[in-house]
This record gives sequence, structure tokens and C-alpha cells, in this order.
Amino acid sequence: MPSTSGSALLQVSGLKYDYSGVSAVNDCTLELPQGGIVALIGGNGAGKSTSVKMIAGALKPRAGKVILDGRDITGLPAHEVVDLGLALVPEGRLVFQHLSVHENLILAGHVRRARAKVDENLERVFALFPRLQERQAQNAGSLSGGEQQMLAIGRGLMTMPRVLILDEPSLGLSPILVSQIFSMIGKLNEEGMSVLLVEQNVHHSLSMAGHAYVLEKGRVVQSGEGKALLHDPQVKEAYLGLV
Amino acid sequence: MMLFLQTTINGLALGGIYALAAVGFSLVFGVLGIVNLTHGIFVIAGAYGALILFTQFGIDPLIAIVPVAAVMFVVGYLYQRTIIHWAISRASLVASLVVTFGVAMMARNALQLAFGPDIHTITPSYSFSSLTLGDLRIDVVRVVGLAASLFLLIALAVILNKTHFGRAIRATAQQPLAASLCGLNVRNLHGLTFASGAAMAAASGAIIGIVQPFAAASEVAWTLNAFIVVVLGGIGSPAGALVGGLLLGLINAYTAQFIGPALTQAAMFLVLVLMLLVRPNGLLGNAFGETR
Repeated sequence: MPSTSGSALLQVSGLKYDYSGVSAVNDCTLELPQGGIVALIGGNGAGKSTSVKMIAGALKPRAGKVILDGRDITGLPAHEVVDLGLALVPEGRLVFQHLSVHENLILAGHVRRARAKVDENLERVFALFPRLQERQAQNAGSLSGGEQQMLAIGRGLMTMPRVLILDEPSLGLSPILVSQIFSMIGKLNEEGMSVLLVEQNVHHSLSMAGHAYVLEKGRVVQSGEGKALLHDPQVKEAYLGLV
Repeated sequence: MMLFLQTTINGLALGGIYALAAVGFSLVFGVLGIVNLTHGIFVIAGAYGALILFTQFGIDPLIAIVPVAAVMFVVGYLYQRTIIHWAISRASLVASLVVTFGVAMMARNALQLAFGPDIHTITPSYSFSSLTLGDLRIDVVRVVGLAASLFLLIALAVILNKTHFGRAIRATAQQPLAASLCGLNVRNLHGLTFASGAAMAAASGAIIGIVQPFAAASEVAWTLNAFIVVVLGGIGSPAGALVGGLLLGLINAYTAQFIGPALTQAAMFLVLVLMLLVRPNGLLGNAFGETR
């Protein structure tokens, strides 16, 4: 599947981070090919969120490199990384509760790379999530958890990313909504979006990921084809609760 | 009855100015989480700025609002990006309280050194004229001051609610991390928010100069007024500042008229304490939610 040559759209190598002395990520290394879906799985506290925050520029790594389409973006601030086409939909959604749905979307759509196409992008997001269109005048805080997740993803799409990173998009959602969100991710990917999926919902994410990485105690300990990992005895035991 | 009406009008006119003087404090508190004890200095600096422009160049204080606010905008931006940012990033948010207090003391003494301890007033041609409405007498300066204050408050409300800059400020106040992921430069926005607050304070200072006497030492009172207005009205919105300001104006006017001018401060603090007990988020609540 993904080649390990320098041709991947996103290349991350040796990222390190510590929270005031306590090491959180030791060696995060992964690649995302153009048009692919890559999953990053691991238990609580494995360093998944810290890793993607470093990739998106929200945290400054202590060591390592992030290369987006051949360009070194390591250490650039988040607001500049977005403008280069990498969007992170953060864990916990973090929608702007006291802004309307519409305001949430057009605010993100105002980044330089997408500014000229705000209306077009808004239509695209509303086509993907008709529910958001119905509620566009409502405050984001009044939405249900699933709707807030849709809004968070829609907000990411408004920035016209080349790489979309989703941090735990299924967290706290009902099984039906989880399937909906995952099928929507599949649809985006079919349209050509490169997706890095961070998940604890290992079953869903591994079945759709071309390639997957297992993060444990801040280190990538295993990687391989998604479906192969799904049947890997170690992964099964650790993350699927099966023996 | 006439006395009551007259007092109410005076209180409301004063209240509009209180609101404008406090709105920047409220915005900075709501968005950056900083209790800016230098706020009164911005107000008084605006008054001195208008005084200089009036006495040296004959510029009307209401026109002086523009240059005075522009200068304080720049000063406020630099102050937040350097001194306040350094203090917060090296220590904690609480450090900003100590730092702004220290800067306020230095600035007050510097103003006293420059302008002397005397009380000043700005007296444009319309200073001593008044409108009469039956038995009611209303000073022109108060009407003008109230009108200018309302105009600026409404302008700020429109900017906050209808422009990208305003949305960015509100988003940053609620979710700084998500704001940066949406392409907003949070540090720069914090600086600009602080700068806008300082500019509003300076604008109110220019108006205060024509309505009331002022001196460098009055800065303490204006910081305190801003604090009380925010507690009464609620954090972060021009509407909250307006409600709080008008209330404070009325409380001051009624107390001075019907109880005794010496007791205005006591009445202010009494209401402050009651408000904190009954509704600590202010009448209109926090415009940015319970994010802090």
C-alpha cells in the first residue's frame, strides 16, 4: 500500500513532546499518502492527541519533523498550518458555543486559501450535513453531540484542507451516529480527501484505513495494513477486547 | 417629582459615560481573562490627551476622540504584546493583576509629574449652555457626552456581531485552541482586543473631560467604576456594559441627591456586594459563556 519513499503527502518522523518534564510522546512516525486514509490507534494516554496537535502546530514538538507535500512545516503556528492545507478537527469538537452554526463555519472559511470560495464551501458542507443547514441560525451550544461533531468537521472542511485530521470523531456518539460519521469520512475520502483518523473505535477505523499505526506510551509500536491489523492477535487483545 | 426626574436624567447621562468607560475593561476581562488595573489610566490619559489638543490647538474634545483613541490603540497593543504577555507567559494569569497594578502606579505618578496634581476640566464653547424642557434643565455637555457614548457603544456592538474581526474576537474568547485551528492568530487577536479596549477607554476619557473635572489621581476611581459596571451588567458585551453603566449612574445620582453626596461610594459598594451575592455573573451574564 503506501510507499515509504518521500512521496507521501504528509510525513511525520520522530516527534517528541513532554508536558513540563513528563514525557507524552517519544517517537511518533507516520506517513499519509495522497488520497489515503490512515488510522492512528492506541489507548487512553498513548499520546495520540498530543501527536496530532504537534502535526497541526497547536503544540511545538521538542524534536522531529513534519513535512507537508515536501515542505517542512515543523514548529509553524497552527493558524499558518491551516493556511497550508492541513486541518485538525480537535478532540471534544470545541465548537464555538456562543456563535451560531453559520458563524462557526464562515469564521473558519475566512482563511486565506479558502476566502474567495466561502459560499461554495458552505454549500458543500450543507450538502454533506443537511442538518447543519436547518440549524444554521442556532447557537452551536444548542446542538446535540452528533451535530456538534458534524459542525466541527464542517468547520475543518471550510478551510479547504488537503489533509484532514480527525481526532476521535466518534467519541461519545450513539452507534447509529458513529456509523454515519464513518460513512461520511469514507465519502470524503472517495472524493479525494486524505484523512488521518485518530480513534479509539478501533474496529471501524481499522476496517476503513488503508494503513494504520499503533501508538503505545508515546511510541509507534506497530504498523501495517488496516485490515491486517484488525486480525492481528496483539491488536485484538489490546484494543478489541477479544482473544 | 420634578427633582426625581431631573436626578434620573442626570444619572442616565452619567451612566452612559460610565458604560463607555467600562466597556473596554469588560471586553479585556471577557476575552483575555485579565483584570486590567491600568484601565483607569487609559481613561485619564484620554482626558489629558483631549485637554492638550484643546488648549494647544483648539480642537474640540469630541473630534479629539479620534486621534486620542488611535494613539491609545497603539499603546494598548504594544503594552499587551510585551509587558502583559511576558508576565502571563512566565508566571500565570494572576500575574497580570500585579503587573497592571504596578504599571498603573507608575503611570499615575508620571502623569502627576507631567501635568501636576491640579484638577483640570475641558471647557469648549458649549460647556455652560443647557437645554430647558419645562422645569427640567439639562446640560448640553451631558447630552453630547451621552450621545457620543451611545454611538461608540453601538459601533462596538456592530463590530463584534457583524464583522469577521468581531466573530474572531468572540471565538477566541470561547475556544482559543479551536480558534487557532480555524486560522486565527490568537496572540495577535488578544493584542487587538486589548488595543480596542484601551481605545474605547481613551474615547470615554475625552468625553469625561468635558463633563467632569479630572486629575491623575482619578484613574483609581475609573478602574473601580469599570469593575463595578462589569459586575452589575455582565462580562464581555457592550450591552452588559450599558446596563451596568446606566445602573451605576442612577445609583450615584439618587444617592447623591436623596441620601447624601458623601455616601455615593458606600452605595456603590453595597450594590456591588449584593450583586455578587445574588447574581455574580451580572444582569446579562457572561457574553462568552462559562469558558473561564
